[in-house]
Amino acid sequence: MNSINIFPNLWRFIGLTAVQFIILSKVSLTANGYCNILLYPLFILFLPIQLATPAAVFLGFLIGLTVDLLTQTPGVNASAGAMSGYIRAALLFRYAPRGGYTAKEPIPSPHYFGWRWFLSVTAIFFAVHVFWYFSMAYFTPVYLLSKILPQTLLGWSLTMVIVVLYTRLFNPKI
Amino acid sequence: MHSIIQLFIRHGGLLTLVVLEVVCFYLIASFNDSQRQISSVSWLKYSGQLLEWKTEGLDYLSLKEQNERLRNQIADLGTQLTNARLAGGTPPDTFAYAVKIDTLERQIARPEFTLIPAKVISNTISGSNNWLMINRGRRDGVQPNTGVITAGGLAGIVRYVSDDFAVAMSVLHRQTKISASLKNYEYFGSLIWEGDDPQYMTLTDIPSHISVQRGDTVQVSQFSLLFPAGHLAGRVDSAYLKPGSNFLSIVVKLSQTPAAFNNVYVVNNKFSDQIDQLQQAVKDE
Repeated sequence: MNSINIFPNLWRFIGLTAVQFIILSKVSLTANGYCNILLYPLFILFLPIQLATPAAVFLGFLIGLTVDLLTQTPGVNASAGAMSGYIRAALLFRYAPRGGYTAKEPIPSPHYFGWRWFLSVTAIFFAVHVFWYFSMAYFTPVYLLSKILPQTLLGWSLTMVIVVLYTRLFNPKI
Repeated sequence: MHSIIQLFIRHGGLLTLVVLEVVCFYLIASFNDSQRQISSVSWLKYSGQLLEWKTEGLDYLSLKEQNERLRNQIADLGTQLTNARLAGGTPPDTFAYAVKIDTLERQIARPEFTLIPAKVISNTISGSNNWLMINRGRRDGVQPNTGVITAGGLAGIVRYVSDDFAVAMSVLHRQTKISASLKNYEYFGSLIWEGDDPQYMTLTDIPSHISVQRGDTVQVSQFSLLFPAGHLAGRVDSAYLKPGSNFLSIVVKLSQTPAAFNNVYVVNNKFSDQIDQLQQAVKDE
């Protein structure tokens, strides 16, 4: 547990929230909701592997709520963030390497586990997050086929592109 | 306390998630316009459903009570109906009106019958003399020699009474003899059971010149002391002339299946004692 480094996570929290609010939410507004890129969940994904699940769920809720307060959609991103915190734990458990995680791999990034592994995990992780986000945004199963699923598919594709670009660019190690 | 901590260690992530999602749902439904509308409409819709389920459940649990209450209500209404039928039977001529305001008023509009709701707790139909037992007795006001009816037919005549129970001879008893008439005809006769099919009784003493039709209504006659006049007994099934007799034997299909006696009413005739005494006086003479 002493290997948990708080500052990289703090910077990611601030940086990703800022990018989400300043750039991506504006893009989303101009594109009439059909260009929803949700980058901030990367903060949740890149939390330390050894972090306890309740803490990850709570931090996911926290960054979601922060984004919500900025974009004035109280609860929508917070709900998706908390869900992502939980899904992340499940995914990390499911995709654990044969010998389990060690202190040599502080965060689930491609630097330690390779791109193949990283893409499998992020694909599911963001699919769940984006789907949950739109479910909360529409808040009724009536729009499931007409709005929620198409927009999830579109938002997920765009998000994955940006996620890959971001990870290539920064290649986070801690 | 220990087990709660254990629970949290094992399912802490899920618990945190559930708590936070509840908070989020609250936030979403409170502070976002479109979601608030959706949730309030859904709440209306599903709370109605929910309440309906709740009511249905409670209804089911109280069925027995309600049944009891309804039977009491039927007894009350039946009492009113039979008495109203009797009161209405008096022709409204000037004489009746003249005496009505006098001391005789009480007797014209007199309530004759009271019904006591009861449940059949044992019943036979296969013997040649059949009996049924009901769960009301002396303490409930049941007396010997009172009629027992169902809502749509006849059941029997009370013979023996204990404190809490009573035994009645069923309509399917050789000694049962009920004064009955054909609706729309002046004639009346005795409804008896000849020991055959438990669904049929025989109406005797109807003059042979009457052309009865299948399906004609057979009801309690106005001369019955035990049963309220006009109460449905059954419908004509067939009629035949016994050799050497001038009277028809009419086979009547009972409106109340004797095998299905369940909720019954004991008919108390307030004046049966007085009438009995008078009849006895005539006999002794």
